[in-house]
Amino acid sequence: MSNASERGVHRDHSPLLPTVSAGVVGLSFLTFVLAWLVLFPILTPSTQLVGGVTFYDVFGLAMLLCGVALVGSGVASRTGYVPATPSATAGVTTGVVLGVLGFVVTGLFVSQTLGIDGPMGLGWFLAAFVGGAAVFVATVAPREDVGSTVPIGAFALLAGLVVLLGVIGDSWTWNPSGLAATFSGDMAVPVVALVVSLLTAWAGAKAYEGFGARGRQLGAYMFVNLNAALMLFVLFVLIAFIVYRGLPGVLRGAAVGLGTGPEVAFGLHLPFDVPFVTNSYGLRNDVNGVLPAVFGTIWLVVGAVVLAVPTGVGAAVFLTEYSREGRFTQVVEIATNGLWSTPSIVYGLFGLAFLVPRFGNSASLLAGQLVLGFMLLPLVVITTRESIKAVPDSYRDASAALGVNQWQTIRSVVLPAALPGTVTGIILGVGRIAGETAPILLVTSSSMSPFPASRFVPRVLSGFQFTAQPPFVTNTELLQASSALPYQLYALITAGVGAGAGSDADIDPWSTALVLLIVVLTFYAVGIASRSYFRRRLQE
Amino acid sequence: MSQRTGISNVFDERLGDSTAFTAVAAVGALSLLATFVLFVVESDLASVALVVFVAAAAYGWLFHQAETAWGLSVLTTLVGIVVLGLILVFLFLEAEKAFETAGLSLLLRSAVPVWSPSQGIYGLQVAIHGTIVTTVIATLIAGPLGVAGALFISEIAPERVGELVKPAIEMLAGIPSIVYGFIGFAILNRYLFYELQLNTQGSLFLAGGVIGLMALPTVVSVAEDAITSVPESMKSGSLALGATDWQTMKGITLPAAFSGVSAAIILGIGRAVGETMAATVILGNVAGEFPNPIFDVFASTATLTSLIASQYGDAAETQLSALFVAGVVLFVIVMFLSLVSQLIERRMRRQLEGDS
Repeated sequence: MSNASERGVHRDHSPLLPTVSAGVVGLSFLTFVLAWLVLFPILTPSTQLVGGVTFYDVFGLAMLLCGVALVGSGVASRTGYVPATPSATAGVTTGVVLGVLGFVVTGLFVSQTLGIDGPMGLGWFLAAFVGGAAVFVATVAPREDVGSTVPIGAFALLAGLVVLLGVIGDSWTWNPSGLAATFSGDMAVPVVALVVSLLTAWAGAKAYEGFGARGRQLGAYMFVNLNAALMLFVLFVLIAFIVYRGLPGVLRGAAVGLGTGPEVAFGLHLPFDVPFVTNSYGLRNDVNGVLPAVFGTIWLVVGAVVLAVPTGVGAAVFLTEYSREGRFTQVVEIATNGLWSTPSIVYGLFGLAFLVPRFGNSASLLAGQLVLGFMLLPLVVITTRESIKAVPDSYRDASAALGVNQWQTIRSVVLPAALPGTVTGIILGVGRIAGETAPILLVTSSSMSPFPASRFVPRVLSGFQFTAQPPFVTNTELLQASSALPYQLYALITAGVGAGAGSDADIDPWSTALVLLIVVLTFYAVGIASRSYFRRRLQE
Repeated sequence: MSQRTGISNVFDERLGDSTAFTAVAAVGALSLLATFVLFVVESDLASVALVVFVAAAAYGWLFHQAETAWGLSVLTTLVGIVVLGLILVFLFLEAEKAFETAGLSLLLRSAVPVWSPSQGIYGLQVAIHGTIVTTVIATLIAGPLGVAGALFISEIAPERVGELVKPAIEMLAGIPSIVYGFIGFAILNRYLFYELQLNTQGSLFLAGGVIGLMALPTVVSVAEDAITSVPESMKSGSLALGATDWQTMKGITLPAAFSGVSAAIILGIGRAVGETMAATVILGNVAGEFPNPIFDVFASTATLTSLIASQYGDAAETQLSALFVAGVVLFVIVMFLSLVSQLIERRMRRQLEGDS
C-alpha cells in the first residue's frame, strides 16, 4: 500500500518519464521529416553545417540520443525509479516486428559484411534466423517496459554509432548481388534514419503513457494518425507539384479583359483568353494549345453520359422497385460488380474487337463514347440503386394510399427523392471516365499525333448528314478518330517531348496534365460538395 | 413493400391490361433484338431496326406509359449482362487464333525468349511475373495503409477531421492514372535511375509503388464501409468492460469486420492487377526475358496490362491475338477476385444480421 501511495506522489512531482519520452517522440519526428527532405534531395546530406557537421552526423546523433533515452527509460521504469504501469510482456506483435528487423539486420551483416552468403549455402540464413529469434525473445520475455524500449533503443544506438563513426557514410556504397541497384550512403543513411525514427517514436509514445494498454493505444494511434496525415500530404504535394510545373505553360499568352477572348456568338467575346486551351497546334500559332483534346474529352463524356445514365437509372429502378430479391437480381448484381472491376484495358480490347470493325474499321469517337459508357454503366447502377433504396418506404405507401399507380409513384415520388444521390454518383463516375486513357488509346485515339491541328477538333453537331439509303443518318465526325486530354498526355510522354518543354511552340506535358487534372478534379469537387450538401439537408 | 411485385405478377397484369400494349411490346422487343443481331453481323440495316424500336418505344410511352416504363426498365437491366457476355465472347474469339498457333505455350513457355513477335514466339510468363511482382508490392502498400486509413476515418478521427480526410482520399482516387504515371516517369524514374545507379529507367519496384498508391483509396473506402457497419452495441460492450479504444478495435471491431476488410483488400488487388497506364509509362515493356535473378525488383520488364497498351498498335494478326490472350488472363483473374469479394461480403452481411 505504501508503495502505491509513494508512486502516486512521485508521479505528481517528477514527470520524468513523460518528459523524456516526449523528447524522444519529438526528436524522432524531426529525424523523420529531415530524412524525407534528404531522401528527395531537397537537402544534400554531405552539406557542411556549423563546424563541419554534416547531416550524416545529425542523423547519427539523433538516433544515438533516442537510443540512450529509450534504454534509460526502460531501465528506470524496471527498477521502479520512475512510476509506470507496464503489462507483463510487450506482446507478440511488437516481438514479431522487432524479430523481423533482427532477422534482416543479422542477415545483412553476416552475408554482406562478413561475406558468408550464397543463396544455397544456408549459413547466413541460419545466423539471421538465430538473430531474429534472439531479438524476438528479448522483446517478448521481459516485462513490457524493458521489452518495448531496450531492443529498439539498442538498435537505435547501434545505427547511430554506425552512422556517426562513418561506417555507412559519404563514400559508402553497397551493390547487393541479385539486385540491379546500388545503394549509396546518400540513400542508405536517410532510409535507416526513417526506419529507426518510426521505431523510436513508437517506443517513446508507449513510454509516454507509462506503458500498458494506454501506452499501446498511443503508440498505435500515432501510426494511424501519421498514415492519414501522409495521405493528405501526398495529395497536396501531387496537386501542388503539377500546378507548379504546369501553370506557366497554361498561362502563356493568357489575358483577361473585355473582348480579349475568342468569339462565342454574335460578336460577343469571352472576357478572358487562355490560348493553351483555346488554340490547336499550328505552325503559325504564337502559343500552341490542346483544343482538339479538350473537345475530344467533352464529346467522349457527353456520349458516355447519354448512353449510361438512362440505361443505368432504368436498371436501378427495375432492380429496386419492380423486382423482388431473387436469382435474377443476384445475377444482375454479380454482372454489375463484374463490370465495375473489369480493367479499363480489357474494355479497350473489347471495343477493338467488337466496335471498331463495325464503325468502318478505324478508330472513332463513337466507339470511345460507347466503351466509356459501358464503363460508366455499373457506377450509375450501383449509386442510383443505393439512393433509391434510401428513399423511405413511407413515401411509397403514402403515394399508394392516394390511389396513385406504381409507375406514377416512381416517377413523381421515388425518382425525385433519389435525384441528389444519383446526380452525385454520376458526377463522380464522369470524373473517373474523363481521365481514362487505356480504352480510348485503343478505340479512339490510336492514330492521333501528339500535336493535333485545328481540323481535328470534332464538330459533332454539324456533322450529321441524312442519306436515302440505310443507315439514313451518318455523322462523319463521330466516326473519325479524335484526341482526348489523357491520350494527349500519353502521346506527349511516348513522343519523348520530355519533362521540360522549352520553346513556346511545344505543348508542355505538365500543362496538359494540369488541364486534365483541373477537368477531372472539378467533377470530383462538385460531386463531393453536392453530396455533403444534400446529406446535411437530409439530416436537418 | 406490398406494392412491389415480382416480374411474373407484373407481366400477368400487363398482359391482362391491354392487348394493344402486347403488340407494341412485341414489336419493340423484336426490333431491338433485330438491331442487336444486325449490328453483330455488321449490317447497315441495324439502324433501320433501331428506328423501328425507337418508334415503338415512343408510341408505348405516349399511350401506355406505365407499361412501357416497366418494359424499358427490364431492357436496361439486361444491358449490363449483355455487355459482360459480349466482352467474354469477343475476348475469347479474338484470343482463339493465338491459341491455335502457340497453344498452351502461351502460358507455359519459360524458355528465353519468352516473347518475341519478330520470331513468332508468344509467351506471357514474363508479363505474368511482372503483374504478380507489381501487384504484391502494391498490395503490401495499399493493404495495411488502407486499413489504417479506414480505421482513422471511421473510429479514431473526430467527425470534422474525418469529413475532411474522406473526400481528400476520394480525390486521390480521382487523379487520372496517366498523371500518376507521368510523375512516375518524369520524376521518380529519373530519381531512382541516378540514385540507385540502375541499368534501366523504370523498375517493377517503382511501378508497384505507384500502383499501390493508386489502389489505396479503393481499400480505404470499402474497408471503411465494412468497419462502420459493425454494430455500436458490440463496441460498447467491450468498452464497458474497461478495454481501451484501441483494444476494442483490435479485439472486437476489426475481427467483426474481418470479411469486409478482406473484401476491400481483394478489390484493391483487383484494381492493382488491372492498372494500365502507370505501368505502361513507367516500365520498359520488354517481355522477352525474366529479370535475372527472378527476384530482382529493379528490373524493367512488363505487366500484362502494359504489354497490351504498349504493343497493340503495331501488332500483326497473331501478336494482336496473343495480346487478347493477355486480356483473357486479366479478365479471368479480376472476375475471380470480384466473385470472391462478393461472396465474402455476402457472408459478412449475413453474420452481422445474425448477430444483431
